[in-house]
Amino acid sequence: MEFIPKLVCFSCKFGWGYLNSNGYDRQIKNLIPVICIGKVDTTHIIGAFKEGADGLLILGCPDGQCHFKTGNYQARKRILLLHNILKEFGIEPGRLKIALNIDPEGTRIPIIIEEMKTEVGSLGPLSSTV
Amino acid sequence: MWNTISFGEACVEPAIKQFLAPCQERCPINEDIQRTNVLISLLPKDLQQAKEGLTQIGDYLFENNPFFPVCGYVCGICELGCNYQSKGGSIRRRLLKRFVSDYYLDHLDKKQEYDVVKDTGNVAVVGGGPGGLMCAFHLSKKGYKVTIFEGSGRLGGALWLIPHYRLPKIVLQRVIENMLRVAGIEVKYNSKLGEGNLSLDKLRKDGYKAVFIAKGTPSPRVLTFGRDLVDNLDLEGVMYGQTFLYEVSRGILAKDYVGGKMVIVIGGGNVAFDVARSARRLGGDVTLVALECSDKSSKDCIPADYEEIRGAWEEGIRMIYSRGVSKILGEEGRFTGIVSPKCISVFDKEGRFNPQFDIEDAITVNGDVLIITVGQGPDWAFLQREGLLDNQRRLAVDPLTLQSHTKEWVFLGGDVRRVGFMVDAMREGREAAVSIERYLKGLDIKAGRKRQFEPFEIPQLKDEDYRSEPEVVWIPADRRLNFQLFEQGFSLEEAIEEAKRCLYCGPCVSCRACVSVGIQDDLPTVVIHENLCSGCGICVSSCHYSAAHLKEVGGSLVAATDMFRCKACGVCVPSCPAGARELIGSDMQKRIAEVYASL
Repeated sequence: MEFIPKLVCFSCKFGWGYLNSNGYDRQIKNLIPVICIGKVDTTHIIGAFKEGADGLLILGCPDGQCHFKTGNYQARKRILLLHNILKEFGIEPGRLKIALNIDPEGTRIPIIIEEMKTEVGSLGPLSSTV
Repeated sequence: MWNTISFGEACVEPAIKQFLAPCQERCPINEDIQRTNVLISLLPKDLQQAKEGLTQIGDYLFENNPFFPVCGYVCGICELGCNYQSKGGSIRRRLLKRFVSDYYLDHLDKKQEYDVVKDTGNVAVVGGGPGGLMCAFHLSKKGYKVTIFEGSGRLGGALWLIPHYRLPKIVLQRVIENMLRVAGIEVKYNSKLGEGNLSLDKLRKDGYKAVFIAKGTPSPRVLTFGRDLVDNLDLEGVMYGQTFLYEVSRGILAKDYVGGKMVIVIGGGNVAFDVARSARRLGGDVTLVALECSDKSSKDCIPADYEEIRGAWEEGIRMIYSRGVSKILGEEGRFTGIVSPKCISVFDKEGRFNPQFDIEDAITVNGDVLIITVGQGPDWAFLQREGLLDNQRRLAVDPLTLQSHTKEWVFLGGDVRRVGFMVDAMREGREAAVSIERYLKGLDIKAGRKRQFEPFEIPQLKDEDYRSEPEVVWIPADRRLNFQLFEQGFSLEEAIEEAKRCLYCGPCVSCRACVSVGIQDDLPTVVIHENLCSGCGICVSSCHYSAAHLKEVGGSLVAATDMFRCKACGVCVPSCPAGARELIGSDMQKRIAEVYASL
């Protein structure tokens, strides 16, 4: 049977999908809209892997366009550091991705998730436990 | 597209001491500036879609400030308060508002009239300038039958004196017409209070329960030197700035009055620059003589805005600073020039206007036309006749409620009380509307009126995180010497970029834009479980906005959060070692738990 990876996606509400008012966030599986990706904590990320996620995607605003000024920078910094730690745990850095862009309609979210699915799919299921 | 109509009003409560974004604190009518900036920054890039959002933003602004399309062309006081000012230039709020108004005006023409039954009482408003119109608008909305008594044949008052290269005629006309139509205000043109048999007592007899007088300042201040009036004010070729601007806006000024002539303008205020730049556009060779010096940091600095001075300079207007007028010269009844002594000090130690001159150092400036623009004053004779002055011949009026001390059913405001900007008059109109409503309902007129706002300081960014202001495009000086608008507005893309530059300094309660757009269901609030709190104060040091503080409850210290400062960022929640803080109203944790459980 073909492996379908389980993904969790955090998306910033200011940059992604706020114009799509007919409940896009409920249609995309495992999407968690947050007010700013600066709020996504390391415990949230590690928790997701602990609970059985195969990959994690974080969608934020481009540099200098964060509504809270530096939230995206904080998130990027956190992920850079986490990548190093995750390696030690045997979790490939490819399983944790951050994309900084603006997409008020949210139309590109499913496309990015599909791309990530094929990438994580090639890595196989998460073998290591955190 | 989001829908802001039905929910998420910004909450600016004048009765409580509240923090506001510094721009909003600076704005006399406390317009919801941060809120509209956030909304503009969230507009879609597609113009057709964005129009829907712009209409919503415009409708929201119109409710409080029906003059906002005009403000977008001429005001910009808020920019002086901007936290960004010293970090790369203020947010161009005026141009952002102008951008909204450019798209909103078409919608305004079709806007539905308010569905209000006008049976709460008759109110007369004397004077149809910004103050009077604002008062009439707000009272009409509340169901009062308002009649404006306008002395001239058109409404707008001194707004018509703003030259059309700054404020297009059509914008002003449309705003006023629609304001009257939407609010259902009645106007009696050519009825000047104090002329004929129209007096305050007659208004009272005709059934008007309250009167708001906003007659403005129709009388120009005359030119004096020392304590004496300067002679020769009646020469041919001598004119007051107000008359000049009025005739230019009406198009009744003789074509060759300034065309090809040497024009001297006296005065250093924005109105003087309006006069000088209008005269230049009509083909005059203009010299401006100001009492004040050009150094903006001095106490005697020129009061005109820097942009006006720059514009005048670009257009080739000669400026002579720190000089007054001691004599007006004339030959055979025609004006020929002025004698201009050096002014060594304009304001005395108490800050009063008391110019001192060095008579020895005087120059003669020759010219064909003299335009005097040194300020204007109210019609004192009328106010005296109606018994509205006190013993010292000053206006007897309460500065807070604008109620007259001598006649309790009369309210006075706008330039007649104190000369100010357009928006100052608008504020007084709005305040008078509140006073009149309270007076007619028999409520306490003063309770809770004093406004207590404080500008909100935000944590500073690193210098490289600040972005510089966009370049405002002016049509080059050689091509703008006409009465077409000389400043270019923002395109949609530029407006979104500029709105994103805003630091959103203000607290969440005075904005609530994210709630209106549906990004959040409501503003999250921090609650403190006092039984868990040990009063260690770690949250106090972790809070960026000085919202977390300690208070004493029953002899021990307990953490608390100032809701007016809190931005609900949630930093304090994980910082608490005892887990005593919790963010309520944010569904993030719940959603995470849901998603993780489904994995």
